Amino acid sequence: MATSPPIASRETASPASVFQRLKQRATKLVEPLVLLLPAGVWLLLLLVIPTLMILQLSLLPDFKPGNPLPSYGLGNYLKILQDDVYLRVIFRSFIFAIASTLLCLVLGFPVAYWIALMAPQRWRNLLLLAFVLPLWTSSLLRSYAWITILRPTGVLNTFLNSVGLPSLQILNTQSAVVLGLAYNFLPYMVLILYASLEKLDRRLLEAAADLGAPPTQVFAKITVPQSLPGIAAGCLLVFITSLGDFVVPELLGGASSMTMARLVYNQFLGAARNWGFGSGLSMLLILAVSLTIALLLKYGDRKADTLV
Amino acid sequence: MSKRGFYPPRRFPRMSPGRRRFLQLSTAAMAGAVLTNCAGNIAQNDADSTDTEAEATASNEGSASGDDTLHIYSWSSYFDDDMIAGFEEATGIRVVADIYDSNETMLARLQAGGGGQYSIIYPSDYMIEQMIEMDMLLELDHDELPDLADLIEQWQSPPYDPGNDYSIPYSWGTTGLIYNVAELGEVEDWEYLWENQEELTRRMTLLNDVREVAGITLKMLGYSNSTEDAAEVEEAFAMLEELKPALSAFTTDGWRDQIVPGDLLIAHAYSVDALDAIAENDDLEYVVPSSGATVWTDGIAIPTTAPNVEAAYAWMNYVLNPESAAEVMSRLQLATPNKLTLDSLDSELKADTRLFPPEEVLAKCEALAPVGDAIDLYDRLWTQLTST
Repeated sequence: MATSPPIASRETASPASVFQRLKQRATKLVEPLVLLLPAGVWLLLLLVIPTLMILQLSLLPDFKPGNPLPSYGLGNYLKILQDDVYLRVIFRSFIFAIASTLLCLVLGFPVAYWIALMAPQRWRNLLLLAFVLPLWTSSLLRSYAWITILRPTGVLNTFLNSVGLPSLQILNTQSAVVLGLAYNFLPYMVLILYASLEKLDRRLLEAAADLGAPPTQVFAKITVPQSLPGIAAGCLLVFITSLGDFVVPELLGGASSMTMARLVYNQFLGAARNWGFGSGLSMLLILAVSLTIALLLKYGDRKADTLV
Repeated sequence: MSKRGFYPPRRFPRMSPGRRRFLQLSTAAMAGAVLTNCAGNIAQNDADSTDTEAEATASNEGSASGDDTLHIYSWSSYFDDDMIAGFEEATGIRVVADIYDSNETMLARLQAGGGGQYSIIYPSDYMIEQMIEMDMLLELDHDELPDLADLIEQWQSPPYDPGNDYSIPYSWGTTGLIYNVAELGEVEDWEYLWENQEELTRRMTLLNDVREVAGITLKMLGYSNSTEDAAEVEEAFAMLEELKPALSAFTTDGWRDQIVPGDLLIAHAYSVDALDAIAENDDLEYVVPSSGATVWTDGIAIPTTAPNVEAAYAWMNYVLNPESAAEVMSRLQLATPNKLTLDSLDSELKADTRLFPPEEVLAKCEALAPVGDAIDLYDRLWTQLTST
């Protein structure tokens, strides 16, 4: 008799606790859903659906708005891949993006290193702010500013001449494009490298120095491997944005600066109005960027795991 | 407005029709968003009519005040506050003006269904022809437009819109060469660029516009600048390839900041832009080349989706009225196609051959017309020209 109430209570409690557990499990499922919903809707509406639309348009060979719908096919892609004019444009776009990424890395790494490890603590935020400051003006204005600096009688050449050096012919060349791109995206590189270098385990540096490693070796074997994820992330960001930028090549590149992004622009807002072809080019651009992300992220992570 | 100074603000008040790269680039991001929206509409062409209907009702609801608001979509240099104030005073219709920077932007917006509120648009000649073909323009009732008879003969029945059935011409100009007369002396024809290629190396630019650039060599070769003949187009581009190594850039308004201080010696330019730059440097001169050039016209039209057609006619009549137009056109420094307006202009302005070229020069000029699917060939050769 004494045991019956607990049994009874167990029996009556049982469905309730099952319900409780179900409720708990449901909350576990629902909570992340609720948290992810805004971003999910955002991504779905503004990334996934538009990308699918571009994919659909890219499968309509030479489709122009207002014209009757052509039948589905791979014509746009074949047009790109079978014509060395377009392949050359794609090749040049990659060269621009790779060159500006490397330039950003070479320029950005020492700066980020200095700010993160050597600059006095109280200056750091100010220095970082100084680097982010140019981002507050539009990249278009900054590109126009480069025209003023680089043109034949511009700021740079006036300065060079005044100290007795010959003028440089940079504006309207491919170097101007790389310079402009690197300038535009350097702040991103520095910020990302800084975030990565700041977390550097200094005890390892000291230990390496204690064990007799010369500074170059410490740098190559401790600093660089530890900041590899940051380097990968920075390069990735600069590479992708450079590949898609059309303002800088258009304004600074001169007569031979056609890039993929400019070509896409021409197909949509230029005389050709070939939205099908433009979408095909866009899909290739998206594909190239996605592949780069996949490869670099994988590569970056593995390095980070094995070496840090 | 200071003449020198930071780029965009200085540009703004005299932005020329369709020919300003700056705004075009800066709105590109926005255009991207617009295009994304378009995909849905244009990918299902059959659903088009329902879309536009929905658009029209939506915009009617948007301007609940209904008949007393007129939305116009225009180039920034084609109106000013005084002009709008004059119209509002005369008619009691409130005007809301939005601006665009290229015909293609305007077209993309209307096609995407984002332009349902506009009752007045300002397309250029070739765009008018294209939009007529696409049934996007309302056929005009000439009884509503008594002043149409005052147009100069050439614009009574322009080739892009015979009989002005769908549009009225508003402003026109040419595409020629702006050059430094102090350094180069008189320049007469396009030939000059090829003959003096060495001296001009990296000191000349052509427009960043496939049709205008192809038009140069097509005219030199004696062909129409709107040819659809593949052999002629290829011949024209082969000539451009010869000139290419000496070119500094293809740019629609980047030449300006370089030719004024003397970095550039010669540039391919629209007459309105050239006149503007000449005002900043007396050494500069503008010429319409003797083998002929492009003559362009920007018109005014009513889209088929217009919610307020009555107000649109009122705007057209206001623009055509010589009394109000003469003042506006001289203030905005535009060349008018209206005889009476022209007559009432300042004699000094009227005698400006750069704004109003002499008859014999104009006779050799030609408007750009759509080239149909040949545009794909133009575009491919243009990509080649700008990438090698």
